[in-house]
Amino acid sequence: MDKQIGAGAGAADGAGPNRKPRAQGTGSSSNGDGLDSPTGSHVEWCKQLIAATLSSQMTHSAPADPNRENRVSKRLPYRNLPALRYGAQLKMSQNEVPLLPGENVHITVKDVMYICPFSGLVNGTLTITDYKLYFIGVEQESPFILDVNLGAISRLETISVPNQGENTKGLELVCKDMRSPRFAYKTEENHPDVVKVLSQHTYPLTHSMPLFAFLYKEQFPVDGWKVYDATAEYKRQGLPNESWTISKINSSYELCDTYPSVLVIPTNISDEDIRRVAVFRAKHRIPVLSWIHPETQATIVRCSQPLVGPSDRRCKEDERFLQIIMDANAQSHKLTVFDARQSSVADTNKAKDGGYESESFYTNVDLNFLEIPNIHVMRESLRKVKDVVYPTIDEAHWHSAIDQTHWLEYIKLLLAGAVKVADKLESGKTSVVVHCSDGWDRTSQLTSLAMLMLDSHYRTIQGFQVLVEKEWISFGHKFSSRVGHGEDNHSSSERSPLFVQFMDCVWQMTRQFPAAFEFNELFLITVLDHLYSCLFGTFLYNSEQERTAQEVQTKTISLWSYINSQPEDFTNPFFVDYEHHVLYPLVSSRHLELWTAYYARWNPRMRPQVPVHQTLKELLFVRAELQRRLEELQKEAAAHSLSSSSEHSPSHTGTPLHSAV
Amino acid sequence: MLTGAKTFKVRQMEPDMKERMLSQSGDSARSRDLVGLRCLPGECVLQRVLMVRKKLTSREGRGWLSGTLFCTHFRVAFVPQDCPNPPDNADPVLLGDHDVALASIEKVVVVGPNRTKLVTPSSSLKFTPEELLLYCRDMRVVCVLFDRLTPDSQVLQMTYTIAKSYQPLKPGSVLSFQNAALGSVEMKQLLSNRSRDSHMNWFESVQDWEQELERCGAVGWRVSTVNERFEMATSLPRFVVVPQRVLDTELKKSFAHFSEGRIPRWSWRHPRGADLLRMSSFQNNIYHEKDDIRNLELILFGGHSSLCVVVELGEELPSPLDIQLAHSRLRALCLGDVSSSVSVPDDKWLSTLESTHWLHCTRLCLRKASEVCCLLRTGHLTVALQEAEDRDMGCLVSSLVQLMCDPHSRTQLGFQGLVQKEWVTGGHRFCSRLNYHRDSDKDEAPVFLLFLDCVWQLWAQFPSRFQFTEDFLLALHDSVHLPLFSTFLSNSQRERLKRTQHLGQLYTRVEGWRDLTLESRDGCDPGCDPPLPPVWDWDLQYSQERQAGFTQPVASPAPVQPLLNGNLNTCTALAQNTLRITDTIPGSVFLLSRGSFTCPPHLPPWRSGHGSAVYRKSHRRAPSSENVPGLERLLKAWAQAEFPHSLTTHLGSQGLLDPYEPLLPLLMGPCMGLWRQCYLRGAIHAQAFSHPLAPPQPHPVERLAQEVQHLWTRLAQVSKNPSSPESPTCTDERRVHGNLNQNVNNSTFLFPASTNHQTHKTTPHTACTNQQSSNSLPLQGAPASCPPVRGNDSHKSTFLFRTASPSETRSKERPRAPQTKSKPPGPHTSS
Repeated sequence: MDKQIGAGAGAADGAGPNRKPRAQGTGSSSNGDGLDSPTGSHVEWCKQLIAATLSSQMTHSAPADPNRENRVSKRLPYRNLPALRYGAQLKMSQNEVPLLPGENVHITVKDVMYICPFSGLVNGTLTITDYKLYFIGVEQESPFILDVNLGAISRLETISVPNQGENTKGLELVCKDMRSPRFAYKTEENHPDVVKVLSQHTYPLTHSMPLFAFLYKEQFPVDGWKVYDATAEYKRQGLPNESWTISKINSSYELCDTYPSVLVIPTNISDEDIRRVAVFRAKHRIPVLSWIHPETQATIVRCSQPLVGPSDRRCKEDERFLQIIMDANAQSHKLTVFDARQSSVADTNKAKDGGYESESFYTNVDLNFLEIPNIHVMRESLRKVKDVVYPTIDEAHWHSAIDQTHWLEYIKLLLAGAVKVADKLESGKTSVVVHCSDGWDRTSQLTSLAMLMLDSHYRTIQGFQVLVEKEWISFGHKFSSRVGHGEDNHSSSERSPLFVQFMDCVWQMTRQFPAAFEFNELFLITVLDHLYSCLFGTFLYNSEQERTAQEVQTKTISLWSYINSQPEDFTNPFFVDYEHHVLYPLVSSRHLELWTAYYARWNPRMRPQVPVHQTLKELLFVRAELQRRLEELQKEAAAHSLSSSSEHSPSHTGTPLHSAV
Repeated sequence: MLTGAKTFKVRQMEPDMKERMLSQSGDSARSRDLVGLRCLPGECVLQRVLMVRKKLTSREGRGWLSGTLFCTHFRVAFVPQDCPNPPDNADPVLLGDHDVALASIEKVVVVGPNRTKLVTPSSSLKFTPEELLLYCRDMRVVCVLFDRLTPDSQVLQMTYTIAKSYQPLKPGSVLSFQNAALGSVEMKQLLSNRSRDSHMNWFESVQDWEQELERCGAVGWRVSTVNERFEMATSLPRFVVVPQRVLDTELKKSFAHFSEGRIPRWSWRHPRGADLLRMSSFQNNIYHEKDDIRNLELILFGGHSSLCVVVELGEELPSPLDIQLAHSRLRALCLGDVSSSVSVPDDKWLSTLESTHWLHCTRLCLRKASEVCCLLRTGHLTVALQEAEDRDMGCLVSSLVQLMCDPHSRTQLGFQGLVQKEWVTGGHRFCSRLNYHRDSDKDEAPVFLLFLDCVWQLWAQFPSRFQFTEDFLLALHDSVHLPLFSTFLSNSQRERLKRTQHLGQLYTRVEGWRDLTLESRDGCDPGCDPPLPPVWDWDLQYSQERQAGFTQPVASPAPVQPLLNGNLNTCTALAQNTLRITDTIPGSVFLLSRGSFTCPPHLPPWRSGHGSAVYRKSHRRAPSSENVPGLERLLKAWAQAEFPHSLTTHLGSQGLLDPYEPLLPLLMGPCMGLWRQCYLRGAIHAQAFSHPLAPPQPHPVERLAQEVQHLWTRLAQVSKNPSSPESPTCTDERRVHGNLNQNVNNSTFLFPASTNHQTHKTTPHTACTNQQSSNSLPLQGAPASCPPVRGNDSHKSTFLFRTASPSETRSKERPRAPQTKSKPPGPHTSS
């Protein structure tokens, strides 16, 4: 029945996440790992057995491959793909390495073995450019291709490769994106050392070289840097109003060097008071407005912990500041403070000069701890997830292994926290203050998730970009430290996959509300890939101040330029804009899943069976076509009803339409 | 129980009598009665509470629905406040969307202020319940909230009534339930007049089997009637398909050699020419005469092949006991009981799920079925599934194999036929395995539910390859828990027919009679047990709207032409060679077990002479399969080879994929999913915040569906307006159009999980994009320049897009394809 069709869609190449930034080639190792014809090899073993059996009985048989027909139709070469509209202007170097504009080959090594955890050794050529590592198998037809962008590499490790001869060295690339490809290569006298070249370009900052984002010379028709304009975004939220004002107090990052230059603060508070509040808050991150409810005027306010200290210091200005925030919302006489930390940790912090708002000093304040562990716990948890998904998946104990990583438990805590925030705003009509210790990790996660639940604008592609730009990038989530762009400090305790965790939460929401988001899974994965890739300037550096100093906006390209230049790849065809719907995801672990399409995507046995992405794209097209047709017909009908009232001639305008029916 | 009973009786009978009078006061009991519930004929309302709120599941859109709660002899019904009145002349539907049959309630729990209590028929409550929870056998949980203004007595009465009448299953209680549901004269009349769906294959007559043989293109087989009166084997169907070469007299001798007489018999033929057989284990204590062995060989080697692989199903598959254990653990886990207060902590959820072993059971079954699929793909051999009794795993694996390989069985009707063939007539002991009568506890094992889960796994991995939807599977799953259907209430076809015979003929065939050997038409005797409908009579159970959701709304492409000689692509020299050579040499039998082939030393003494030689050879040639579990290797190789753009080019050069390419599921840990829509329907602990007052919002996807539906209807309207009625093509168009709208009525039009089924719609489209755009171009600018192009058929398809073109092609090119005919729109009652 419908097989041809499902397959027909499959035909169109673009399955799943692996494909996504084809031009940028973030990693289509999907390409690799298998060397056989698509239909055949599953059964190859069976067939061979039977062929063998048959031939054992026949004195003379022609044990030609019974599967021949299937194999005749070998794949076309890899590059015979529908080209991307943008970013497809690949230069082909002589040895067939697709290069991006601005990318240069630094070393090419032949006779390298890729130690594939799924199908054994693959012999081929390894090329290192300033952006990626590119391995291509020697096989002529449909060669194996592994493509790892250097930004994704966390550390390089030499490994021992037994049985490969004297001069063979082993190399393992431990990647941030949940894989660790391994290579074996021969060392030769007069040959430059691969590892040296590789580490130089993997860690350009350590070697005082520029990140590749500054060399990348692609031209996109859309300028992604224009996506986010803080003032415009606040205007969209209906700001400034009588209670809140858009302040320039931080325009030169004097008040707080990790905050953006544009801040929304209460109207009736003096600059002097604000400076006092800044002194009382860790890293000077004062309470500022993130989002305001269009109807109730309840607000999400973010900040860092108050510096209460063991001696229970007080700051009258800070107390008044929160009072003003509460008063700005006439609907409620309470203010809820969500401290993302575990209460015990908050107490420890208090002993170390940090702390939390005491309910006895801050009148009408409800303090809630969300009990979310710190960045180190998250890092460990994701490391465990990697152990579970790469390279081999333990089939029998998969579920318990996932439980033991606790990753989903933390996802659940985060989502539950965000739901609490959103519900407090929506149902409780109460303003909310969110903070953790410094207000740039868990705080960003919580505020952005809550905003995603509350405001449908952030569920569009553009809106989501604004959300990330605003809550994460401009408010100083330390991307550079957390990801470690271009630096060889892989053991740094500053690293932590908090943004990944946030994206996972978003994915969980898209699973539960498949029609509420304009973007699809590919979008999320693409963003995550370029979180590491250093191809775009979007996620570089720790704060807006640093970014301005490095002239990121003029010297690099925004990830959103790439995405917005081909939105059809990232659009969810089921999207319906639910303007005033608040989404409360179910947070029980029964309804959470591990995002295997991201974490386990390098395992060739995990590929989706049906080319979801391609199907979605086609569906999008159908939807647009339907819409177009409807409008067209409506127009015709309108014209017809005018004319048909006067005459009933069969040859009037409507008829051709009818015959086309 | 006895102590409380008397007082209840007094309290209870009064409203009962009143309601009874109410409900039957109308001229017809079928009409919607005064209290708002549309009763079945003979159904009495026992109790009623107004102003209750029912909790909706996430599937239904979450939130709460207000309405009225009823308890009748047969069900607990909930009627939403402003539900549109169904037309009075519509046939009764046993259960409304919000109803629960009493027999499917497993336990009743009430939640009061600060406490919960399990209510049994004998319990009395010391508090007034605020909330009523009905835990169902089909893993639903119905949660109803009483209003504070409802008098306590009313709430208590309702609770007691339900508790007393839900009848915890015990021997005998099923019968009284059936009587309550179907026992009234009107119901019996209705049931005896129902015709059955003639579009599906019931596998109950010689013609049915012949039709299947023809559909599969199986030559060399015939339908034997040796077992027509169940004289040879009581659990086998009346008709068995055996090789043409075997005479009935020879065949009769074979029955003794197999346990329960379940001889090897044909089930299905793979289009590459391999046959799938099923049989039970050999009876070793019987002396094998030379002739017998020859006969057995003839049967096993079927029409053509020289090679027979016996697949032993006992070893690697879960035993019925395993299945029963796993399923009960899964139930306990998923239902999350408030009354027992033992609930799995969230951080242990996955581990606990794993320890139920349910997913492991599904994996084993799917793995075995994949193995068999791979064997069948090689063509020119016979694969015989052997199980000790051949009544559990034989049914399961055989039908899974067909589901994976045969697109026809992935349609609703095809699937129903498949279940008829492999399970119902195939002699699965539904009644004992499902333990309806609570008299076969040690036999209880939900093998069929395991099968449905396996089907769901396949569906979840290949949604676009199925014509039926998850809704259909769910409906079937729920029906299994309703002891009303002849399909599930007998252990064999013989029992089923005996019962029918006893009751008289209930079903008249639309196309008249073919064989009336067993049945007699006595008409129905009102004194005896109620007639039981088959489960496939969906009109009886579900409204048309719900049924519309059973299948993908898009017309499926034309089915593959049956191939008469069964060879899809074997016109190669090789295949012919193989055929010729193998025809001349005597066959050999191999045993596939634990992923490796052996020449069986302990099967009946076939080829015992040189079997060992072959054994050694085959072993040496496949050394790898000794240590690695076979399919693991297979799948490994498969998965590595399979990646998307290889598929592209593969297709690019060859056109379409072989439709018989099996759907081989991924079996890795992460790929085996939990059927949340089924098992977690009742999860009441999920919602972080409930908003009892929020109006139920339609599921977002449903709203999208509505939008698209709206689009279509607008299109329809717009296009109808200008059309002049006198056009000759007009009627034709309207007809197609009507189909279209009917399809679109389907609420799952864009159901999320079936995302990919949209492919159906899109892909034929891609094929005709060019034509289409070229058509639509003149269309836009046409009005003035283009005179009416009547009778130009090619234009017709433009408006209807892809949806129309397949259906049109189908109706034109394949006017006679009985098994694929789409169901006529009307209900199937011949009133």
